[in-house]
Amino acid sequence: MLSSLYPEVPLEEKQRLFDLVKADPRFEDYLYGCYECGICVAACPSARFYDFSPRKIAQALAREDIELVYEQMNDDIWNCSQCFSCVRCPRKNNPGGLITIMREVAVNNGLKTTKEALAGYTRIIYKIMTTGTQVSPDMLQEDAFPDWGPQVKEVATHLDLWRRALPPETLHTTGLSWQVEERTMLELYTIWKLTGVLDMIRELDEGLHDIMEEVMDDALEDQGFAID
Amino acid sequence: MAVHRVLVIGGGPAGLEAARGVADMGLAVLLVEKTGELGGTPYAHYATLTPHLKDARDLMQDMLEGVAHHPQIEVRYHTEVVASRGEAGAFTVTLQNQEGQSQEEEVGAVIVATGFQHFDPGRETQLYGYYEFEDVITLVDAEHMMKSGRIVRPSNGQPPERVAFIQCVGSRDRQIGNRWCSKVCCGIASKQAIEIKKMLPEAKVFIFYIDMRMYGFWEDQLYWKAQEEHKVNYIRGIVTEILKKGDKLLMKGEDTTMGRPVEVLMDLVILSVGMEPSQGTLNMAKVFHLPRESHGFLATQGEPLDTVTTPVAGVFVAGAAAGPKDIEDSVSMGGAAAVKAVSLLRRLEKSLA
Repeated sequence: MLSSLYPEVPLEEKQRLFDLVKADPRFEDYLYGCYECGICVAACPSARFYDFSPRKIAQALAREDIELVYEQMNDDIWNCSQCFSCVRCPRKNNPGGLITIMREVAVNNGLKTTKEALAGYTRIIYKIMTTGTQVSPDMLQEDAFPDWGPQVKEVATHLDLWRRALPPETLHTTGLSWQVEERTMLELYTIWKLTGVLDMIRELDEGLHDIMEEVMDDALEDQGFAID
Repeated sequence: MAVHRVLVIGGGPAGLEAARGVADMGLAVLLVEKTGELGGTPYAHYATLTPHLKDARDLMQDMLEGVAHHPQIEVRYHTEVVASRGEAGAFTVTLQNQEGQSQEEEVGAVIVATGFQHFDPGRETQLYGYYEFEDVITLVDAEHMMKSGRIVRPSNGQPPERVAFIQCVGSRDRQIGNRWCSKVCCGIASKQAIEIKKMLPEAKVFIFYIDMRMYGFWEDQLYWKAQEEHKVNYIRGIVTEILKKGDKLLMKGEDTTMGRPVEVLMDLVILSVGMEPSQGTLNMAKVFHLPRESHGFLATQGEPLDTVTTPVAGVFVAGAAAGPKDIEDSVSMGGAAAVKAVSLLRRLEKSLA
């Protein structure tokens, strides 16, 4: 209701993004009406650390406050940890689920702030989408994790040895959290491609998208699969 | 010997049910109505009733005719009670008609069902400009318009694009002196909001409130329905001032749950005016020496278990003369008052026999 934080973005564009959120088939199960009671905020861990309120997400959408929803899609939604502690609403709203939808619309439409918010996660995205494991042992570098103490350096220097000391053979890995079956990997690639998740990355980071697409296509092609 | 006739004062829902109850139990009823028709405030002023949004006239027709044609009930229209003497079992009341002619009647018991009047928004201490701006109206004005099946801006006859209700006008306000919640305005505003959205689906409708007090089934019948199905915007925060801007109304308030001030333009503002004791109720307090409780309505004794017995023997109260009531409450009290009045007369008869 107050003046916009993004005056350079035309109202039509904000309306278009709002309509995309509202058109999502999950939307009507995620938002009924809001009492503005704050039970979701009380339960929300992020609300304790950030200027973030799942209540305001539900309220802004319920009120169809186009400007505020746009502001939230450029900021608030990235303060949510998607833990769904908020799903205890007396009206059965699901603020975390609404944020999921808003994030997807933000990513699919390549919002500048989304690119900025996710820039630090390029490595994680690459890792999880190409290997199926999120954090690998070789990511544990001394400079990245100073709070883990001096032993990180020792572990990093002889990482392969430390890993092979672990009893399960599937953990004798350094570039992966554990050994992933090739079949699992191929299934994963198929899912990323068929569900459109890989396409989402294109709006975010075209270079990353192209690299991952090549990895996936090569692997699928080697096994005689073609996914279009 | 007790007079086996009961005087019912006021022909609204409470008085009608009281009259019907007494008559069905076999006693004569003298029903006095100030106006020229039965049905009271809802019938005279409301297009539809909560919670089912049914036409008020259709809904009340059977009740009205049942009373008007009951062989045990005599109805006096355009008549008021101006004096009373005597005691339980033997009251002599003076009735006066429009022409100022007086007549005395003997009755054994009295049921006062003189109801409420809507708060006059000229008395509010905020600055809503009811008597200044044509497009600031009350719930009652809106009902009058809805009787014709449409809602427009009085200033230009055009349908409004943005409509705001302001709750608690003349209720819950120490400045004004009315400390009570008027009970029905949240439901009526939500009902009207639904009706406006049905008539004008493109309109934006807002309800500015302090608390939404939608007790019982009104919660989902009216409040959830308005909010979820008809996308009525409920905003917690009371408007402090309305100004004219061009041909629109500028509303100033705070959106308290969002924590930000609000200044928005509206085409039509509807004030949710509360209930006060009607002039008739105040008059009956004098005529029958009925004490008024701390808010100014007629006092009952024995709360919460007796809702209708006043401290004056032989005089009972039903409906909004005793405080803010919805129609369900009023009708229930009418029935209870009928039972109390009839049983009093039967008791007196036995003790005198």
